[in-house]
Amino acid sequence: MAFIELKDITFAYDEGENVLSGFNLLIEEGECVFVRGDNGSGKSTLFRILTGISYPASGIYKFDGEEINKKYLKDNRNSKLFHKRVGYLFQNPDIMLFSNTVFDDVAFGPRQIGLGDKEVLARTEDILKTFDIEELRDKAPYHLSGGQKKKVALAAVFALNPEVILLDEPLAGLDKKGRGWLVEFLKEVKSSGKTLIIATHSDEIEAELDGRVCEL
Amino acid sequence: MIPDWMNEKDTYVPPKKGGAYLYKTMRSMGLIMSRITIQTGSEGKINIPAKWKIIVLLLSIIAISVTNNKTVLLFFAAATLLIIALKPPEVINRIVKNAFASGIIASIFLLPAFVTNPVGRMNNLLVLIKVMLSISLVSIFNHSTQWNHITRGLRCLHVPTVFVFILDITLKYIYVLGNFINEMLTAHVMRAVGKNKDKYGSIGGIMGVTFIRGNELNKAMYEAMVCRGFTDDYKGL
Ligand SMILES: Nc1ncnc2c1ncn2[C@@H]1O[C@H](COP(=O)(O)OP(=O)(O)OP(=O)(O)O)[C@@H](O)[C@H]1O
Ligand SMILES: [Mg+2]
Repeated sequence: MAFIELKDITFAYDEGENVLSGFNLLIEEGECVFVRGDNGSGKSTLFRILTGISYPASGIYKFDGEEINKKYLKDNRNSKLFHKRVGYLFQNPDIMLFSNTVFDDVAFGPRQIGLGDKEVLARTEDILKTFDIEELRDKAPYHLSGGQKKKVALAAVFALNPEVILLDEPLAGLDKKGRGWLVEFLKEVKSSGKTLIIATHSDEIEAELDGRVCEL
Repeated sequence: MIPDWMNEKDTYVPPKKGGAYLYKTMRSMGLIMSRITIQTGSEGKINIPAKWKIIVLLLSIIAISVTNNKTVLLFFAAATLLIIALKPPEVINRIVKNAFASGIIASIFLLPAFVTNPVGRMNNLLVLIKVMLSISLVSIFNHSTQWNHITRGLRCLHVPTVFVFILDITLKYIYVLGNFINEMLTAHVMRAVGKNKDKYGSIGGIMGVTFIRGNELNKAMYEAMVCRGFTDDYKGL
């Protein structure tokens, strides 16, 4: 049985036509999958289903043996554990940042999983250093540049140390240096055994990371 | 390059409590948003210009409020019911709900008078009916006219540009900002995997960012419009 299993998924936004129909996807733990497709082909929609924000009209989604549906996620503990294990970088980083400072936004995840103050501080600083955004630490997220916001949002996702990481256009908005760096970072994340699912229009990430392409 | 703790899996047992507040907020926000989306108004096959709809609506409401003649009210009630009956079921549902909600609020206000002054009871009932009729007419209008047509209609009726502009931008941004709040809540829930000690702080943060975003969007939109030739002479978007 695969780690992530989508079987015969059909999805439509209300009153619209099907965005996904009869869609199948199997992903093993530790795999790296690139989701490709034209604008509007349903990449972000697929991610919404994989993270349990939207539910398919028909078909089955299984994550680590559990069927993920409305009923399962209605249980508070299930949904928390699920969201802890599956991290999601939204295509628009603006919607992810709500705290007064970058530090608080990145520390939000570690605080949530009940780490002690010291550990929260250590983790957050690790991540800020890794992403090379230490100097943004006390800034207000909504006043950052587009690329800086993207980095903070990425840092916020990784601070929770999820097992599966869904990245919707992670390279968009980053400069050349930032892109090169992120690709290297993702390589290491992959070799640490985490599962990566990445929607992208860029070839540079595919050339570097060893992964499989899923065309929508 | 990656920190050591990323090489390991966290063993995390989520607490049972907490999080319900966020979900509730998200659900009610979603509900409000779906209502706003639906109120974009589906115009039927017979297309009366919004200008005439506005005039008829205003005249009807004035007539309903000034008349004391029960036959006239009866006529309006019959006409309103007829129009409602021709709408699709979900629209009927919503219009009737609005009418009853306004009726209940009006009754609460009228209740003291109704109890203490037996002579005026008939008048109180009339007021109640007038309120419900007016609200029904407004919801019918709302459900059968697209927003951009409403603003164009107002423009034809020589309502000042600034007023129409503000109305139009507000209507559009209620949707955009509502959506933004909704998405922020969703993104928040993705990371709110434990017990939130400061749940009001989170919501406050979202509201604060939304407010700033609203202001910035407004400014950006105005600038973008100017770049595309907008000269404060508003012709409806
Ligand atoms: N909230 C929504 N309500 C209705 N329709 C939607 C919504 N979100 C997306 N859609 C529609 O679903 C389709 C797929 O959208 P989606 O965002 O998944 O595309 P995408 O592959 O991520 O595109 P992009 O490369 O531009 O990010 C589009 O046709 C879009 O119009
Ligand atoms: Mg997308």
